[in-house]
Amino acid sequence: MRRLENAFWFAFAVPTLGIVLVLFFAPFLYSALGSFQSKSGQLTLDNYALVARLYTKDVLYTVGIATFSLAIVLFIGILLCGYLRVYGNKLVEFLFKIPLFVPFVVVGHAMRVFLAPHGILNSMVAQIGLINLDNPPSLAYSWLGISLALAWKNMAMAVLLILGAFRSVHETYLEAARNFGAGAIRQTLDVLLPMSASSLAVASVLMFTSMLASFSIPLMIGGGKGAQMTMIDVYYRITYQGDYGAANALGVVSYLLASGAAIYYLRTVTRK
Amino acid sequence: MKVNPGAMGRATVKIAFLALVLFVIFGPLSSLAIWSVAEKWYWPYALPQQVGLFYWGRVLGSDLMRSLQLGFFIATAVTMLTLLCTVPVGYALARFDVLFKSVIMMLFLLPQAFPQLPVFANAAVLLYKFDLGATIPGVVLIHMVGSLVYAVWIMTAVFKSIPVEMEEAAINLGASRIKTFLTIALPLAVPGIVASSLLVFLYSLDEFTGTLLIGAPFVVTLPVFMYNASMGYELQVASITALLLMIPGMVLLVLLERYLKAEYLSMFGRI
Repeated sequence: MRRLENAFWFAFAVPTLGIVLVLFFAPFLYSALGSFQSKSGQLTLDNYALVARLYTKDVLYTVGIATFSLAIVLFIGILLCGYLRVYGNKLVEFLFKIPLFVPFVVVGHAMRVFLAPHGILNSMVAQIGLINLDNPPSLAYSWLGISLALAWKNMAMAVLLILGAFRSVHETYLEAARNFGAGAIRQTLDVLLPMSASSLAVASVLMFTSMLASFSIPLMIGGGKGAQMTMIDVYYRITYQGDYGAANALGVVSYLLASGAAIYYLRTVTRK
Repeated sequence: MKVNPGAMGRATVKIAFLALVLFVIFGPLSSLAIWSVAEKWYWPYALPQQVGLFYWGRVLGSDLMRSLQLGFFIATAVTMLTLLCTVPVGYALARFDVLFKSVIMMLFLLPQAFPQLPVFANAAVLLYKFDLGATIPGVVLIHMVGSLVYAVWIMTAVFKSIPVEMEEAAINLGASRIKTFLTIALPLAVPGIVASSLLVFLYSLDEFTGTLLIGAPFVVTLPVFMYNASMGYELQVASITALLLMIPGMVLLVLLERYLKAEYLSMFGRI
């Protein structure tokens, strides 16, 4: 009877684990191994030499975009959540949840038409005479466009995480600060922010890695020329050149960049 | 009647702030709505010269409907299979001293930390070896990697939140573990199961990276359809598709607004 029961649970665990092992961990290891192999299967470091030669700039570009985008998200997120925590505003809180459920591809396309040289944003700014549409500045197809799109999409997650952390700060601390005459900004920067620093660090790591790994947004609003984000390089390397060795080497670089998040995740498990 | 100038000022600031928020959130999305009805639009005009539903009519009679149906079919399959796998596994992880539990939990967590694209590209090679490339089962499988990883954690949390005492009572009265699971724990977990299956459904419907790598060129779901249209500068078609793609998410947001907790939504940092 006991054995039969164990078999029952096992029967469900096997396919569940199996799919994740075969379709995630096996390809993961395979890509790491493949990065050290030449096309004929010999062990080599050539792929990494190629990546260092061709893609160092792109890796820096990717890290730069993720950093800049994270800075925007944190700056707006912290001030906004401070305001929401101190005064409360159900409508604004709801509005900032919307980007969470707008898929990345839709964000990519929407930002493409919104930020294009003759897109809605430029038309509106031109109406009040700030720019000249004969020679319009273009945010789309540039690092700034990618950063803004990533920031827009990640803002929802940031608000959820930061506001959650701010809400867990007890009201008495804020009251004490108010008694000393602190306004909303002082309460945010001097009380809420230091008291939720660790949750904020975690949120930042998660958002940073998801931005580094972003694919569909740079695919849609990145420029065709110049530096690309690493995931685009990986994709082009495979689809246009069929060069899995270099693509995998670049993939391994991206795993290393993401290992901050991996370490954080590992600690969550070991803590439980 | 005297109007307090301070209150007036505050109200003005509040309205200006709300206007700014509305612009930030709906500005980019509004361009979709405008493009979807733009029949004739070239600069320097700030708005379309000719507005109409011409492209809506054209799009709704096109391949888009097939992509829509296909996406719903795949999402339904992914959701059902994911539930079938993760509900018992979540229960077992929540209640039993499973061997190597922390290793198993870790296996279901690490995929969320690493970039998907290089992994899925290699998974595609594997799926092609088994003749599953560019097929519906292949796409279902690749969607399941993402959804299983997410749903195992949620299901474990759902079962952990159910008090264990009722199940202990059933076991003391001689019920087997399986019977206890089916008659006590499962009914109590229904709200959590419903919420997470809605999220899994949405995840599958919106998934892009895996579908592009494994499904192309034969399995075209709505996100891939939209990507192709946008890249081909069919801006009206792409915008209409984008609007349709947003509907399920918005419905879910309104339905689940109160239950949205950050830890349940980690998956949505990725689609």
